[in-house]
Amino acid sequence: MGFLRFVGFSVVRAWQGFWRNAMMSLAATATVILMLVLLASLLIVIAGLNSGLEFIESKVAITAQLVDDLPADDRRALTEEVEALPGVASVEYVSPSAAMDRLRESYREVGRELDLGDPDSNITLFASLEISLTDPNASGDVGSVLSEHDDVERVLTKQAQYDTLLGVINVIRTVGIIGVGLVGLTVLFMIINTIRIAVYSRANEIEIMRLVGASDSFIRWPFILEGILCGLVGAVITIALVAAVWDPIQPAMVRIFQMPTAVSGRFLTTISIVLFAVGLGVGAVGSWISVRSYLTAAR
Amino acid sequence: MTSLLRRRARTENADAPVISMVDVGMTYPNGKVALADVNVEIGRGDFVFLVGPSGAGKSTFIRLLIREQLPTTGQVQVAGRDLLHMRHGQVPGLRRRIGIVFQDFRLLPNKTVWENVAFALDVTGTAGTTTRQRVPQLLNLVGLHEHAHHLPTQLSGGEQQRTAIARALVHDPAILIADEPTGNLDPVTSWEIIQLLIQINELGTTVLMATHNQEIVNAMRRRVLALEGGHLVRDESAAAYEREY
Repeated sequence: MGFLRFVGFSVVRAWQGFWRNAMMSLAATATVILMLVLLASLLIVIAGLNSGLEFIESKVAITAQLVDDLPADDRRALTEEVEALPGVASVEYVSPSAAMDRLRESYREVGRELDLGDPDSNITLFASLEISLTDPNASGDVGSVLSEHDDVERVLTKQAQYDTLLGVINVIRTVGIIGVGLVGLTVLFMIINTIRIAVYSRANEIEIMRLVGASDSFIRWPFILEGILCGLVGAVITIALVAAVWDPIQPAMVRIFQMPTAVSGRFLTTISIVLFAVGLGVGAVGSWISVRSYLTAAR
Repeated sequence: MTSLLRRRARTENADAPVISMVDVGMTYPNGKVALADVNVEIGRGDFVFLVGPSGAGKSTFIRLLIREQLPTTGQVQVAGRDLLHMRHGQVPGLRRRIGIVFQDFRLLPNKTVWENVAFALDVTGTAGTTTRQRVPQLLNLVGLHEHAHHLPTQLSGGEQQRTAIARALVHDPAILIADEPTGNLDPVTSWEIIQLLIQINELGTTVLMATHNQEIVNAMRRRVLALEGGHLVRDESAAAYEREY
C-alpha cells in the first residue's frame, strides 16, 4: 500500500507539474519530437540501405568471360576447377546465344528492342561462366584465380558496386549518428532546464517537504516522472507521425531498397519500440540529472 | 485532543534529554565562527526560549537540530538520535520527530488551510484515511476548523501561523521548534500564538522558541538560553530576556 501511495502521489504531482509549467514542458516535448523524427528518418534510411546492401550481397556473383572458341572439354575442366574453390556455391555456363537472348530480354523489360544494325551481322557475345558464391567475401580470391587462368578473357564482379554502397551507408550512418547525437544533447539540456525551472519554481514546496520529513524519493520522483512525461508524449506523437507516413513509405522500401516485405512489416513495430525507449530514456536521464544536482546542492 | 499528542511512539528513553549538545562548535568555510563550545541539554516537555541578538548563532543552533547542517566539532543528539552518525536516509525520520514553524509561516499559497496541513502527511506517504482523521483534529487544536477551506491569503497573520503550527504537529513530533513565530504578528495575536504553544507544551511536546520578543520572555519566566557571538552566555530557568543580576 505504501508503495502504491508513493506511485500515485508521484504520478499525480508529475501530471500537475507538467501542466503548471506548460510552456516549458511543451517546448521540451517539441524538441523530443524533433529528435525522434530525425532518429526515425535515420533509422528508415539506414534500414533501407542495409536491405539494399543485403540484396547486393545475396546477388554477388562473378562472371568469367571465356576466351573465344574454348573447347568443351577445357570449359568442363575449368568449371570443375572453379566449383572446387572455397566459397563457390555453383557455376553455370552461359553460351553466347543465351547471353544474346538475355540481352534482348533486358531491353524488352524496359520497353525497347535491341537493334544490332544489320540483321546478318556477325555480332556475338562472350561465352561465360556465372559463379554464385556462398560467401561474398570469397569474391576477391575466386576473382584472382580466374583472372590468372589462360581460358578466361575477363572477370566481372559486383564488388565495386557493393563497396560503393557500403561507403555511402557508412557516411550516412556516421553523419546521421552525429546529427542525432547533437540533437539528443540539445534535447537533454532542454529537459534538464525544463525540470530545473520546475524545481526552482517549487523551491518553497521542496523546502517544506524536506522540513516535514519527506524522503528524497517523494521529492525526486515527481520531477523525474515529469521529465519522463515529456519524453513519453514526444515518443507517442512521433510514433503516430511515423505510422501515418508508413503506408506510402513501405512499398518504396520494398521497391527501392529491395527490403523483404516481411521485414518491412515488422519494421514499424521495431522503430516504435526504439522511439519509445529513446524518448523515455532521454526524459528520465535529463530530469534525473537536473533533480539530482539540485537535491545534492540543497542537502 | 490530548491523546492526539500523547500517542507518539515512545522509542526514546523517557528520562533522556530530548536535545543534547556537547562541546558543539560550528565554523563556516569562510572562517566565521557561528557557535563555539555550546553545551546544552533540554528535557522532555520543557519550554525553552532561545534569545540573542542577530548573528548570535540562533539560526545555526536550529539548523543543527534539524540536521540542515552538521557541527564542525562536538556531538548533537535529538530525540535519541546521534545526528553526526546518522545516514542521509534517516534524516526524514528525524524531521518527523521535529515540528518547525517560522516567522514567515511558509505556507503554500495555492493550497487551502486543510491542504497545507494535509500536504505534510501526503508527502510522507501517509494513508488518506489517517489524513482525513488527523487534519480536522489539528485544525480544532489550533482553532481553525472553520477556516479549513480558506487560502492563506484569506487569513490573518495569526491564522496563518496557526496553520503552520498545525502542519508542524501532523507527525506528532517530540519537539516543536518555533523560529521567531511572533515576529510578523501584532502583540495581541502574538500572545494568542504563545498561548497555543503553551497548550501544545502542556500536552507533552518540548517547545524551543527563538525570539527577540522581550515582553513575552519576561512575562513567561521559562528557561532561557542566551547566545552571543556563538557562545552560550546564559542558561537560566524561570529567567527574563536579559540578565537580572
